Amino acid sequence: MLEPILGTRTLIAWFVAVGCLSYGVVIGPGDATNDNNAIEGLSAADLAGLKQKFRRPEGIPFPRSNPHSLEKEQLGKALFFDPRLSRSGSMSCGTCHNPSFGWSDGLAKAVGFGMAPLARRTPHVRNMAWGAAFQWDGRAPSLEAQAKMPITAPDEMNMTMDLVVERLKAVPGYAPLFQAAFGGEDPINQKNVTAALATFQRTLVSGKSPFDRWVEGEDSAIGSEAKRGFALFTGKAHCSACHSSWRFSDDSFHDIGLKASEDLGRGKFAPPSVVAMQNAFKTPSLRDLRLQGPYMHDGQLHTIDAVIEHYAKGGEKRPSLSFEMKSVELSERERRDLVAFLETLAAEPMPVSLPVLP
Amino acid sequence: MGRSFALGTAFAMLALAIAPVPLARAATVEIVIEHLEAHETGAEPAVGDTVVFSNHADIAHNLYLTFEDGTVETLNTQPPGTQKSTVMKKAGHVIVRCWIHPIIHMEFDVIEKKLN
Repeated sequence: MLEPILGTRTLIAWFVAVGCLSYGVVIGPGDATNDNNAIEGLSAADLAGLKQKFRRPEGIPFPRSNPHSLEKEQLGKALFFDPRLSRSGSMSCGTCHNPSFGWSDGLAKAVGFGMAPLARRTPHVRNMAWGAAFQWDGRAPSLEAQAKMPITAPDEMNMTMDLVVERLKAVPGYAPLFQAAFGGEDPINQKNVTAALATFQRTLVSGKSPFDRWVEGEDSAIGSEAKRGFALFTGKAHCSACHSSWRFSDDSFHDIGLKASEDLGRGKFAPPSVVAMQNAFKTPSLRDLRLQGPYMHDGQLHTIDAVIEHYAKGGEKRPSLSFEMKSVELSERERRDLVAFLETLAAEPMPVSLPVLP
Repeated sequence: MGRSFALGTAFAMLALAIAPVPLARAATVEIVIEHLEAHETGAEPAVGDTVVFSNHADIAHNLYLTFEDGTVETLNTQPPGTQKSTVMKKAGHVIVRCWIHPIIHMEFDVIEKKLN
């Protein structure tokens, strides 16, 4: 009978050691950081500083000229979902800014008056209270100014504000709502309509996402792929040059080198000498991104992979191309990490109840 | 003696009062932009002074100045670490904004040319 060279206990220990080592090789180095908050290439101090830049604020800012009240918010919600604000009586703000589609419509390009296609995609309307400029081209300096633009645009709701006021005055149930919200004599007027709409929109705020919980110190709220994606997003991939702050947008305007069209974006309002504004559109927020697309101001990119590829290539080279657009080499793993990070910016959708209209 | 001294002093003062006064040399006022903020300097440049905008941010800006009479001067794209300058041609209130970043907003006043 042959005697084992090594004892039984020694053999068991050897098998355990080899087995563990093999497992470590199979899962690879990327997952080794799964249980802590370290990110390769970022010191703890750098990471803490970065997290601070993306920390969500405590409350919603309302302007002194249009302070919040529950009555105003409720009136604004009724107006937002009331199709009588359109000439046809069939299209409300909520028709395009549909809460079921993340306060947008899921279409590459919006559909306007008479079912005619519009030039741009419908932006969502969350986190507008912190906005600095509104519309894809930034032509509205405030939410109050913005509110009447789609209502009065001939190719959108095709109304006049005078006719809006006339229609609302003809609905008996609106008088007490306006009275409660604004008081005074004859409160159903243009200014109060836009003030109520703006107030309601300011209350639409993204919920707390896994990323927010990670920023607040819950290390396991996001995985190691997403943490690496965050490092790429704020570093090598240069995304946070524009997608910055807790909203992941600084409301800046850039030509990112997409396929151009007759729509010059902000270039329509800037002097021709301001070349950088030609083909420039607003940086959209990345919170609650609908990862089924479509993407960009005109919906010309259909998948998130196509978006990342576009940024990796750096966009079409032309005089108006943004200074921030630089090509970058991204491996397959890095692309997956970026998507994993973007997924952590989505919160559970907040419950929405539709108003019963007067 | 006393009368001569008084007369001499009076002539000297008169001479100082009517002598041509040399204009102050044009000054330079620097406004620093860090990230999305143009820092207030508190300085009031005078007509003829140069206002220099220093981009200390790591992103590009495209500043424009709107003068009290409604005229607009654009300084064009300004990459990180660069300066753009403009000479103040008239007195009045000036609003500084950025075409790329509408959140940037600062104001200052240009005063009449200073005398020594």
